[in-house]
Amino acid sequence: MRLSRTAVTIVTIASMAAACNTAPAARPAPAPDSTASPEEPGKQLSALAPENIAKTRPRAPFDVTGNWFIDVTENPDAWRFGPPYPELTAAAQVHFDASQLAAKEGKVYRDDIGQCWPAGLPLIMTRYWPMAMIQIPTAVYMVSGFMNSLRIVYLDGRSHTDPDIIVRTFNGESIGRWDGDTLVVDTIGFRADHHWMDQGGASIPAGEQLHIVERITSINDGKQLEIEYTMTDPEHWKGEWKSTKRFNRVNDEDIQEVSCLPDLNEHLQSTTSKVQVR
Amino acid sequence: MKRASFGCALALMVSSIVPLFAHHSPAAFDRTKEVTLKGTVKEFRWQNPHTWIELNVPDGKGKTVLWGVELTSPTYLVRAGWKSNIIKPGDQVTVIVNPVRTGEPAGIFRKLILADGRELTERPARLGTPDSK
Repeated sequence: MRLSRTAVTIVTIASMAAACNTAPAARPAPAPDSTASPEEPGKQLSALAPENIAKTRPRAPFDVTGNWFIDVTENPDAWRFGPPYPELTAAAQVHFDASQLAAKEGKVYRDDIGQCWPAGLPLIMTRYWPMAMIQIPTAVYMVSGFMNSLRIVYLDGRSHTDPDIIVRTFNGESIGRWDGDTLVVDTIGFRADHHWMDQGGASIPAGEQLHIVERITSINDGKQLEIEYTMTDPEHWKGEWKSTKRFNRVNDEDIQEVSCLPDLNEHLQSTTSKVQVR
Repeated sequence: MKRASFGCALALMVSSIVPLFAHHSPAAFDRTKEVTLKGTVKEFRWQNPHTWIELNVPDGKGKTVLWGVELTSPTYLVRAGWKSNIIKPGDQVTVIVNPVRTGEPAGIFRKLILADGRELTERPARLGTPDSK
């Protein structure tokens, strides 16, 4: 039987995580005090390089490894990051107004996710699908149950990639650091086209200047994660856009292989319906 | 394709399930209306992110209209008692949907009634809470 690439990746990472978590005392001598490659000085070691993983680091205050699902117990709209919304710029207001008008007319404004474009950060975190997270000393690997969208949060002390060479993506480039009992994740490097902060009558674009800081804490004896979002994008809104989300640990369901295949929307007429406003 | 009229009944109702599992916006569907479709299964596709049913529905004028019905993912269908072989091409079934707003022959799933009278619905797309078990 042929395993999917995603499944192989998860099994590999999980095995590595298990090894890291169960036998810390038996590790070989620590690697040189650098995440740089010994073969190529100045080149960043992979987060999965044994020398990088084995580097001596303070023990992580908590481990996010698990499956997580946005807490909508009190509010089914808790997946959204507004309202309240920040004061929008003219560049964003035109889309917001158009989506409001479309909603009043019973139409759907630029539903790019429905056309198989990636949800991107921040919405990928709060889709109604579980998010699998695997934490190792150098990174947190996140795979969403929604289209298996991959997000990597590097914990190995690296800096953001040079803006001149960064490959912009919908989930951006995430660098994490521990601040006491809080994991602080800084994300930039977003792709701006077909990328939205909200949808369904509140379409606000995400731009290349989007900057998201997440302060992640483990609460309720590890049964919940709380993430405080602070988001800026001067092209599309003024000041900071703040929102706090809680995620419940899911122990009775795993993520599955999920793809937006070419034949999907061919069979879902609603995605090609006249109700769609492009 | 023509819109099916015969065999379809509209009824006002209020949705209790918000289909946010969907990869697309739920706003395309009129959640205040129900259409009852009695027809023959053309295809039942059991897959992520959506399961779908294609149903040939007589229009009462000697023709059939192919309806597309969108369902949640197998994760939530299994929790509601579904199996991948619960229906197959050729089966006579009744499906209740919320239709798209444009009158096109498409809708989002509400209820399946099998030939033997058994009824199947979905479970709300929710995990990690007591009511998701």
